[in-house]
Amino acid sequence: MNYNRFIYYQGTIGMASSMIFPFYILLIKNVGNSYAQFGWAYGLFALTAALCYPLIGKYADRVGDKTLLSVYSWGMAVLLLCFPLATEVYHVYILQVLMGVLGAVQKNSEKTVLARYVTKEMAGTQIGRYHVWTSIAAAIAVIATGYLVDFLTIATIFYIASLVYAWSGMQLMKSDKIEAEV
Amino acid sequence: MKKIGLVLLYCFILCLSAYFYSAHLHDSTAEAHQRLLPVKIRTVKPGTDEKDLQQLVQNANRSGDILSIAGMQHSQGGQTVYPDGIMVDMKPYNQILEVDEDAKTVTVQSGATWADIQEAVNPYGLSLKVSQSQNIFTIGGSLSVNAHGLDIRHGGLSDTVLSMRVLTADGEIRNLSPTENKELFYAIIGGYGLFGIILDATFQLTEDELYVTETQSMDFQDYPAYFKEQVKAKPEAKMHLARLSIAPESLLEEMYAITYETAPDQSKLPEHKQLKTENLVAVPKFFLGLSRINDAGKETFWKTQKTYTEGIDGKLVSRNNVMRSDSEFMEYDNSRKTEVLQEYFVPVDEFESYIPELKTVLEAHPDFNLLNVTVRYVDQNDNAVLSYAKEDMFSLVLLINQGTDPESMADTREVVQEMIDVTLAHHGSYYLPYFGYPTKSQMQKAYPRTNEFFQLKDRYDPDHRFKNLFYEEYRP
Repeated sequence: MNYNRFIYYQGTIGMASSMIFPFYILLIKNVGNSYAQFGWAYGLFALTAALCYPLIGKYADRVGDKTLLSVYSWGMAVLLLCFPLATEVYHVYILQVLMGVLGAVQKNSEKTVLARYVTKEMAGTQIGRYHVWTSIAAAIAVIATGYLVDFLTIATIFYIASLVYAWSGMQLMKSDKIEAEV
Repeated sequence: MKKIGLVLLYCFILCLSAYFYSAHLHDSTAEAHQRLLPVKIRTVKPGTDEKDLQQLVQNANRSGDILSIAGMQHSQGGQTVYPDGIMVDMKPYNQILEVDEDAKTVTVQSGATWADIQEAVNPYGLSLKVSQSQNIFTIGGSLSVNAHGLDIRHGGLSDTVLSMRVLTADGEIRNLSPTENKELFYAIIGGYGLFGIILDATFQLTEDELYVTETQSMDFQDYPAYFKEQVKAKPEAKMHLARLSIAPESLLEEMYAITYETAPDQSKLPEHKQLKTENLVAVPKFFLGLSRINDAGKETFWKTQKTYTEGIDGKLVSRNNVMRSDSEFMEYDNSRKTEVLQEYFVPVDEFESYIPELKTVLEAHPDFNLLNVTVRYVDQNDNAVLSYAKEDMFSLVLLINQGTDPESMADTREVVQEMIDVTLAHHGSYYLPYFGYPTKSQMQKAYPRTNEFFQLKDRYDPDHRFKNLFYEEYRP
């Protein structure tokens, strides 16, 4: 996987995740009851991520970044398909825990790839450029999704985001092939 | 190969999820369990023009669909919904058709709100004769619940309607007035959307006036005499409202009254004429929030209300502005709890003996969370088939905070039915737009013409094109 491809990949999953995260709260609102439950849902996410980081860190060096990113993409693609089916608050809690694990995989891999590809002398420029594209993708996704939720149901955005994740997973495979050819 | 397998697996899970989701979506009982009335309607059709509405009714006649009619949907007894029916949303049908300055009339489409009318007639120095205390409701909705308000001089809402046009179940448009199609006219006012779609109505207006605010606090025993002597007998008193304490220490004992009297000097009207908008919503919202929590909160709320009322004594306000009461502070957003209203009518002379009995019911149920009780006056009026004002009555509006789970609902039902029994024992009645806690026999007692109402329904809408949950709950 080359660096441009990585930016493209991160842009894609950035779009998918920004589609769901701001609006995700609407789902919790439909399912949950109180601010405390909001707090727990997000707290569980952060807490599981914290517990997973040491493990993921170790694996990253052993199995490689791309494998972990694949796990993230396909994991998220499948997980998002469960969201529309959540009707109880504990469903949301379970999903949040799983999202915490996958979120940690993504965050860690994002940084390890950057660390491996970015040349020290140009790190500022390169990481800056990386953030420009991923942020633009995220911004477009958030705004567009706002309109989507107005027209469609909240469930629809989970399906769309899931398809985007699946797409990103396929992109990773393709880059596999390209690398093999090279 | 592995990759194709992965993609296929994903597609399989996607289909599985979509299947379960759509199955869940079509299971109408599963949705919206936190609301008091979980109802799944098929579609919402906005009413935009007369021809479309006519077409809608004719199509429904062919397809057999049930229509329910909705305005702001603040009625709480399911008057605007029917399971798997089509809800006709009248809000977009909201034009002010004509203001006749000389004849002092206004003609409006039924989706317009009272606020819309106020904005249209205020520049002409005109004002509504009767409207609700809050102006957020649609004309069609208010007519269908035969609403009443603060005015004590102009009778009921039905007395101020000169004529209206109604789209009936046969798809025809009819003119109704106190002289033309009289029977249907008085069935549709307070008809809860069961006789047809009100298209537009013409109201008799009066002149906007400058009022001076008079406030007075007292014990409840003194209130009927105060009202008769200091309010009703005083020609300059035009609008009136009172509040009963909900604070535990003075529960249903202390009261304060606010009366709006024609100001001796009308020359200052232009200064007060501009329509006010809601301001400082956060302050009353905060105190009402305290009152929801516990008894101390209720004491604070009551004290604040009293202090505020003393503060407005002597203030000048235009009639149109009195009719623009704040309601935004009551908006309440909690999916586990909700707020419901009850309204009881009790003859003026029964008030003194009625209140202690009502208090006994409330004290027997310490968990019943009562947040506010306002008192208004309604003139005897039996125009409407379902008329609540069998005599000159005081109306008590109770704001209640309750849980939405089945036990909380059962608890509230019990208290409400007891309160209605007490009210009926004092020759009173109760208001129908609220949640269906009352029993059928309580409705029969409160509204002696109930059977006639449902017979009229069968006659004017033999195929039952217009139905709602209220109808299902209380039909014979």
